[in-house]
Amino acid sequence: MTFHITRRDFLKSSAAASSLFLVSGCTADLQKPVWMESYVNPPEETLPSENFWFASTCRMCPAGCGVIAKVSNGRVRKLEGNPEHPLNRGRLCARGQAGLQELYHPDRVQQALKRSGDRSQDQWTPLSWEQAIGDLAAGLQDVDPDRVAFLTGYLPHYQSELVGRFMKGLGTQPPVIYDAQAAFDGRVTLAAASQRLFDTPALPVFDISQADVVFGFGADFLETWLSPVAYSQRYGDMRGQVGKRGYFAAFGPRLSMTAASADRWLPTPPGTEGLAALALGKIIVDEGLDRGGDAIDYQALYQDVDVDAIAEIVEIPVDELTQLARTFAAATQPVALPGGMLSGHANGLDAVKAVAALNMLVGAGEEGGMKLTPEPPSRDLRRAPVSSFADVQALTARMANGDVDTLFVLGANPVYELPAALGFADALASVKNVVVFATLMTETAQVADLILPAHTYLETWGYEFVDPGFGEMTVSAQQPVVQPLYDTRDPGDALLALANAMDGDVVKRLPWPNLVNFIQTRLTSLQLLDGNFTASDTDTFWAAWLQHGGWWSQEAAWTPPTPGEGFGKALAATPPRFAGDAGERPFHLIPIPSVIFGDGRHAGLPWLQEAPDPMTTASWDTWVEINPVTAQQLGVANNDLVTIAADGGEITAIVYLYHGIRPDAVAVPVGQGHEALGRWASQRGANVLSILAPQTDDASGQLAWLDTRVQVTKAEGRRVLPALESNLGVERFRQQSL
Amino acid sequence: MSVETKAAPLVWPEEEDPREEHLLLDPRPRAELNQIVLDAMHRTGFGFWAAVTVLSLLVLIGLGGAWGYQIYKGMGVAGIRRPVYWGVYITNFVFWIGISHSGTFVSAILRVFKAEFRRPITRGSEMMTAFALVVAGMYPLIHLGRTWRFYWMVPYPNQRQLWPNFHSPLMWDMLAIFTYVIGSTLYLYLPLIPDVAMARDHSTGWRHKLYRILALGWRGTEAEWHHLKTAITIFAFAIIPVMFSVHTIVSWDFGMTMKVGWHSSIFGPYFVTGAIFSGVSAVATVLLIVRKTMKLEYFLRPEHFDAIGKLILIFSFAWTYFFFSDYLTEWYGGEAVGKELITFQAHGPVAPLWYLMLIMNIAIPWLTLWNRRVRRSTWWLFLVTIGVNIGMYIERYIIVTGFLQRNRLPFDWGVYNPSLVEVLISIGSLSLFMLLYVVASRFIPLVPVWEVQEGQITHSLRRIGRALVPSVAELE
Amino acid sequence: MTETTHRWTMAIDLDRCTGCQACVVACHAENNVPVVGEDEVRMGRAMHWLHIERYWVGEYPNIQARFIPMMCQQCENAPCEPVCPVFATYHSQVEDLNIQVYNRCIGTRYCANNCPYIARTFNWFNPEFPEPLNEQLNPDVTVRKRGIMEKCTFCIQRIHDAEHVAEIEGRPVQDGDVQPACAQSCPTNAIVFGDLNDPNSRISQLAGSRRSSRLLEELGTEPSVIYLSGGDAHVS
Repeated sequence: MTFHITRRDFLKSSAAASSLFLVSGCTADLQKPVWMESYVNPPEETLPSENFWFASTCRMCPAGCGVIAKVSNGRVRKLEGNPEHPLNRGRLCARGQAGLQELYHPDRVQQALKRSGDRSQDQWTPLSWEQAIGDLAAGLQDVDPDRVAFLTGYLPHYQSELVGRFMKGLGTQPPVIYDAQAAFDGRVTLAAASQRLFDTPALPVFDISQADVVFGFGADFLETWLSPVAYSQRYGDMRGQVGKRGYFAAFGPRLSMTAASADRWLPTPPGTEGLAALALGKIIVDEGLDRGGDAIDYQALYQDVDVDAIAEIVEIPVDELTQLARTFAAATQPVALPGGMLSGHANGLDAVKAVAALNMLVGAGEEGGMKLTPEPPSRDLRRAPVSSFADVQALTARMANGDVDTLFVLGANPVYELPAALGFADALASVKNVVVFATLMTETAQVADLILPAHTYLETWGYEFVDPGFGEMTVSAQQPVVQPLYDTRDPGDALLALANAMDGDVVKRLPWPNLVNFIQTRLTSLQLLDGNFTASDTDTFWAAWLQHGGWWSQEAAWTPPTPGEGFGKALAATPPRFAGDAGERPFHLIPIPSVIFGDGRHAGLPWLQEAPDPMTTASWDTWVEINPVTAQQLGVANNDLVTIAADGGEITAIVYLYHGIRPDAVAVPVGQGHEALGRWASQRGANVLSILAPQTDDASGQLAWLDTRVQVTKAEGRRVLPALESNLGVERFRQQSL
Repeated sequence: MSVETKAAPLVWPEEEDPREEHLLLDPRPRAELNQIVLDAMHRTGFGFWAAVTVLSLLVLIGLGGAWGYQIYKGMGVAGIRRPVYWGVYITNFVFWIGISHSGTFVSAILRVFKAEFRRPITRGSEMMTAFALVVAGMYPLIHLGRTWRFYWMVPYPNQRQLWPNFHSPLMWDMLAIFTYVIGSTLYLYLPLIPDVAMARDHSTGWRHKLYRILALGWRGTEAEWHHLKTAITIFAFAIIPVMFSVHTIVSWDFGMTMKVGWHSSIFGPYFVTGAIFSGVSAVATVLLIVRKTMKLEYFLRPEHFDAIGKLILIFSFAWTYFFFSDYLTEWYGGEAVGKELITFQAHGPVAPLWYLMLIMNIAIPWLTLWNRRVRRSTWWLFLVTIGVNIGMYIERYIIVTGFLQRNRLPFDWGVYNPSLVEVLISIGSLSLFMLLYVVASRFIPLVPVWEVQEGQITHSLRRIGRALVPSVAELE
Repeated sequence: MTETTHRWTMAIDLDRCTGCQACVVACHAENNVPVVGEDEVRMGRAMHWLHIERYWVGEYPNIQARFIPMMCQQCENAPCEPVCPVFATYHSQVEDLNIQVYNRCIGTRYCANNCPYIARTFNWFNPEFPEPLNEQLNPDVTVRKRGIMEKCTFCIQRIHDAEHVAEIEGRPVQDGDVQPACAQSCPTNAIVFGDLNDPNSRISQLAGSRRSSRLLEELGTEPSVIYLSGGDAHVS
């Protein structure tokens, strides 16, 4: 080999050498090495100040929108929606855009941490990944697999698959998949309803873009429900149709952000939205306006429904119900949406079924707006269903009994998001070894024994079969858009490494050397299918898949809902059931899943903390929305502090007089009240999730997170709510005195 | 030869001796007059040093500490916020510009109209003008977000050919204030020359050197007197329009905007009237203190305060007229925000201040100043004039910070409360004004001796029978 | 530099706006708008260039919320421009936009007082971007320090970007080439941006709509933001 030096190289090295000499000459400590990197040698994929766009998938909520990331000088600067992506068509919500701060958060966990004191102390020893994996592998090798448990959130698809395989490899129970967002979405209930009515667990999708009448029951589809950006897109289309404008009525006890966009809001009592849907259906059937086909005997379906009784319960006169029913039935394309708030009650499953039946009744199932998400194109892309709250209760009981030695937690923050009355935090004390994957220090990580620092989604690979999907069958691509900032790993990669360090079944289940390798095997089946691009070989497919931000079918791939065995059964008019004594606790507590924070996991991001809540324009704190009439009875005014007491505990919040809520209910936003999660979230506001009653819908096992009754009493002091609006001015405007 | 008549003698009120009443009829030898003034200048007792120390400390805290902190940290340490972008700094600015009107008004207008009672009080009020302008001139700087870039408002030639925007009322403001500072300083200085020369002739050491420079070699020749008097007359006439323009332009900072409440064509005369109202009141306050602390009872007599009191009452009438004129048109106009602003003043958070303003500016002057005894009573007049200045400060505070709290978009209404930094800076600037005055009072003859003597020469008492009849000789 | 032939205009369809705040965060991200923190927000010093005003109409149960996204209206006849003593706020002939020159601003805040839309924000303190949060900053937009006024620019950097791209490709700027961050992000497509001088652009069509109006039009400020009022439903 000849030693070849160009003039440029010579200049570079001599410049470097002389600078090194100069710099080292100036420092007292000559032993200290001086690292120099020239600005003319950037990483290969970057050019100085040139912007590059990389397509990826948003992981800020489970929807799976496509994003494109603007990268300049090796750092991602902005996230925007991927215009090609069929789900969000180039749009992105507030949460999605704030993903950047998840990556650049100054309080990120930067290396593996092992607890050095006991759990009451905040003392940690950093350790290397090799050591952490080695210790874990050694520990797991000798342990009884049944004493290992894995609790995850509704994970990104690839992680979910890897966790499932890992547990299978260990030969133990599958992971418990639960987080508050999944509960708010009502995934369990929706799947159960589909199962009972249409013989498939597929999630329903509602295409409202062509609809002329939309009824939202417990409507929150524009803010948090399943796929808010996709629904917002279709909502915009619905309003702006050529020659017509869709009409939207919302049923629910609180004027949510979604209901605020409605033409009409019907403030039904909490938990009765499903009954209203039943009554509407009954009227349509009775008046012979149904066009759901002859296959179903709709009369029999509605045989137990008493319109007069329901009219009284839902506080809508029969005349008005009839009017609404006729409007719905007369529409060319009516759609009824079973929002997430619907499944948050103990009668949730019945309510969702009632709404689904209402759709079928007017033919929304055939060529109309109600569809089912199709099965993934290959077995490799199926994912484990979400666990119900009942499964979490079972896990907690196992832990409390001392039946769990090692608990892995990934993508969930149970100490924060589970009702305190469940006793998860106490049960955790009986677990010997708690291993938590975390990007930010969460409340659960704080009580862990080992914290494994995780990549953010912008630093890692992945895929997501979009579920619920809107038309095109979509496998969204996720790729790193920056070099990892710290010594972190993708949890999936960590599990692969862990499996490789262990013998036995585990490594057979997880044979891949790394994440990319694993993901590529998942995608092979897609190459044969017609999609947004064609690729002859795996490498081309991989490149195109990443470049476009995913693969999706050319044609819409809806599955029309076909009535199954269970559809013929008479629908039950189940009244709501609340936790807490009605006399002692006179108010219904409505936790508001936050359009800004989701279930609270993003409260650490400053952009989101500062983003005003759409309805109150408040930020940075926790408030309670109270009807002005109720507030007057309670003797409280804006900015007063009140105590909200439930059977499971109490919180303090700032009073906000809210015109759009029933007088018998109070609403508190979810998301604040963190004890951890970095400098912007910790010690701020109150966590409403902690006081919820751990009551479930017995039919689906879903947490009835809207069924808690509370007492509201004036507390000492006042705290001005940090809000954008002038309360006074807006109120003056409302009273028309301006 | 005296003429004996049978006519009834002139009876003086309360049978006073006119010499006790009227300075100009009570002549003393020139040397004695000089001595009174010089004594007052040289008297530096414990009280003086205590005042200087305390005031210096307050200036240091307010303008050194608080302002320095604000420059270092940012404007955020003040209480201003969206949408109230102007706070007590601009209030103070308008207030001090108002105070600065006193000197010119009392001195120039009264000089032009040959009001004889002006003679002993011109100097004291002209000094107020100068020092109030120093303080007022600081506020646009204090109020700037980037104080260190204030010179960008100055039209100086530069490589990039960047010029200030002469469309902006703030530019007009700056030009008017500069003109006013220069004009009023010269106007203070011109009549001072003979007095400084007098002081030069009666002093030694560093004072002598200082006065020698300031006196510009004044010898008192006829030519010198002629030139001086011509110059003073020219300035007296010239400074009056400048004075009117200054406060009119200050009012245009508000009037030229499209803010409801501010956008008003009456703001010019309204502000000028208010300025003179508060300025003349401040003159009375200051002269009462000067008279007491510097033992100038010979020069500053009840007759002068009586005259000032009448002026204050007249300007209280005028101010009230403009105030209600502005109020009524706004109310009658019926625009929603305008109506809101009116109810805001009477019922909103500033309501207590607003009522206090009405009491201080209207009720108290009208109920007291018609009474000759009140006007001549040191304490009464002191309290009333202090009250007027509090009232006028509140008026500016409400116009600046109050009106900004309401606008056409009710979502964006706001509140305002001054922060500690703003209060400290305000106290600091008030202290600076007082400090300058106190220190200057030991250098500058507070009474224009030559003017008093000139007056005394032209006034005399003639005895006609048993009656004493004042007689006046026309000077020019 | 020649005078522009474009008349950049924004239309906001209030019938589509759901108040979701996507545009607000997009604006923060694109324009390096600082986060001021709880106490400052409580004081009324939030710095959103774009915020959504929420009004109430009616009374429970017939209550309705109205959302109005509010930002600098880029007035043709802007009240903020003449009052600035140093030309930091001025009307650019190059873009026909209302420009804030941060370097030139001395912080009199006069422009903010004279803005009937209360659309301007002031840097009360230096912004803070604790490392590595500073990596999120958009290199195309200046980071402002304390004492300076700022406001919505219609994402002028994106306009320039689109113009440069068009120039390189040797074609005129087409409808849809320019998308401010807010319009880009809007999940319901409520925000439309374009050139009013192009008769075929979407914005020109929307401007002619019966639903279009401009805010506080009667003041004669000639704003460049068009609001499309909520439509009437065909059923009641």
